[in-house]
Amino acid sequence: MLGIIRFLTEPFAPAYMQRSLVISLLLAALSGVVGVVVQLRRLSFMTDALTHSVFPGIAIAFVAGESLFVGALIAGAVAATLLTFAARSTRIDQDAFMALVLASLFSIGVIVVSRHRSYSADLTTLLFGRVLAVDTADIITTAAVAVVALGVLVAIRKELLLRAFDETGAEAMGYSLLRIDLAVNLVVALVVVAAVRAVGTALVVALLITPAATARLLCSRLQSLMISAVAISALAAWLGLVISYDASVHHGIRLAAGATIVVVLTALFAVVAIAQALRTGMARRRTLAAVAT
Amino acid sequence: MRHLLDLYDSGLLRRALLEAVLVGALCGAVGAHVVLRRLPFFTITVAHATFPGIVFASIIGLSELVGGLAFAALLVVVIYITTGDQNLDNNTAVGVALAGSFGLGVMLQSTQDGFSKDLTAILVGSVLTVDHRDVVITSVVGLVVLGALAGAHKELVFRAFDPEGAAAQGYPRLLDLALLLAVAATVVATIPAVGTILAVALLSVPAMTARLVTRRVSTAMLAGAAYGAASGVLGLTASAEWDFAAGASIVLASAMLFVATYGVVGASRWTTRRRAIQAVAAA
Repeated sequence: MLGIIRFLTEPFAPAYMQRSLVISLLLAALSGVVGVVVQLRRLSFMTDALTHSVFPGIAIAFVAGESLFVGALIAGAVAATLLTFAARSTRIDQDAFMALVLASLFSIGVIVVSRHRSYSADLTTLLFGRVLAVDTADIITTAAVAVVALGVLVAIRKELLLRAFDETGAEAMGYSLLRIDLAVNLVVALVVVAAVRAVGTALVVALLITPAATARLLCSRLQSLMISAVAISALAAWLGLVISYDASVHHGIRLAAGATIVVVLTALFAVVAIAQALRTGMARRRTLAAVAT
Repeated sequence: MRHLLDLYDSGLLRRALLEAVLVGALCGAVGAHVVLRRLPFFTITVAHATFPGIVFASIIGLSELVGGLAFAALLVVVIYITTGDQNLDNNTAVGVALAGSFGLGVMLQSTQDGFSKDLTAILVGSVLTVDHRDVVITSVVGLVVLGALAGAHKELVFRAFDPEGAAAQGYPRLLDLALLLAVAATVVATIPAVGTILAVALLSVPAMTARLVTRRVSTAMLAGAAYGAASGVLGLTASAEWDFAAGASIVLASAMLFVATYGVVGASRWTTRRRAIQAVAAA
């Protein structure tokens, strides 16, 4: 027992590991809640598009030597607006149009970075983040973004629910669907911005989709969904950091911390999904047997 | 013009051009089905899924192509089995698979030393370093995929426009699996040129442009192939001229062709309508 506790707490002796844990837990809380909204509104594709579309802002800020955060914030606002309109277009296929926006914006980012000297290393850092290298300023920025994003969600929660469950009703009552959609997409963009330093633009999509999907297998009330999504995400963050630390320090295998968190999240989803499938299978067999007798 | 022709003096660039045109044409044609069946999100997932396969294969010393294809095919089958009759687009299982496979790829990659360079090539492509083998593979995959799509054309179009009718007439759901695998094979053949992140662009943008011009699926496949090939030529030329990342330039070229076509089609519709209004007013 003591051994397990040691295994789970020992990695967090160094200050940089404590900082990575704090920022990971912050992101878990933020993305767990926003992830449930993403799932409710079926915005998985929109989320992936947003993560790629924020990339040029970061790339330009990086090459210009400006703050990545500011670059991501501007690009996030632009991308969220563009994609909101793309998703509402009726003249063109919406998802193909979203693919067009995301790929074009991402390409601009790649072209900007490709003109820079250390192309490969820069590209991977921007895409996958460096959770072990975050400093106190990053934590404060992330916390501030989290407060703003969650504040917006709380403020518009009534409209949001109405829009999700009764689109026609919301429109008839005079709510602007466009404005609600735009607000939600901006919140998702904010999560991507908050996560840029720690997990990068390519991995944040896992934080936004997988915990909520796992929670959905376990419960269905909105409140319980949010609580379990945050709990699952926090658990995966903790385990992921412990595993990556243990593998690197005690076994000489380097495992990227951010990616390990994502793999743990996915493994949790797989375990829960398989357990659920077995349970429903067994229940069905029992019913069939009962009917037969 | 003379200067542009000079650009393609080197064998390296000529091979890159051939690959870009092949990949563009193949994706443009297959893309007609991607757009028709609303598969862009699925395509992104398959492209991401090849990533851990490629990394794993190169760690154990297998062909990257085989690794990527095997992993993507495995994922396609798992998604196909677990989703049942649900809509593939915006599906949760697809999203989890997308996010998870990227994480797995990065984790596997981090265990290796000095992989960073190759990682970039996998993510955003490196058409300038394709070799003779890549060109042959693209051609073979293209022939097989296009042959299959042409063979099942009538059934695929029927299935797309009237899924219940197709099911009632006894066409098997396996047809869907075949289409998804065809898309996966196309993605794998595209990766050397434009990489895993940008493959979706070539598989949807030229086809979307083609749909502006024509509504017939077979014509859209041909027009998509033409737009895709043109994107390859334009993008690669711009990249060679201004020293841009080649894959990204090809994608941007396809986006610009879309915007231009959209403008031309929109303008011509507008003139037709105005002329009609004037004719009515005069009468």
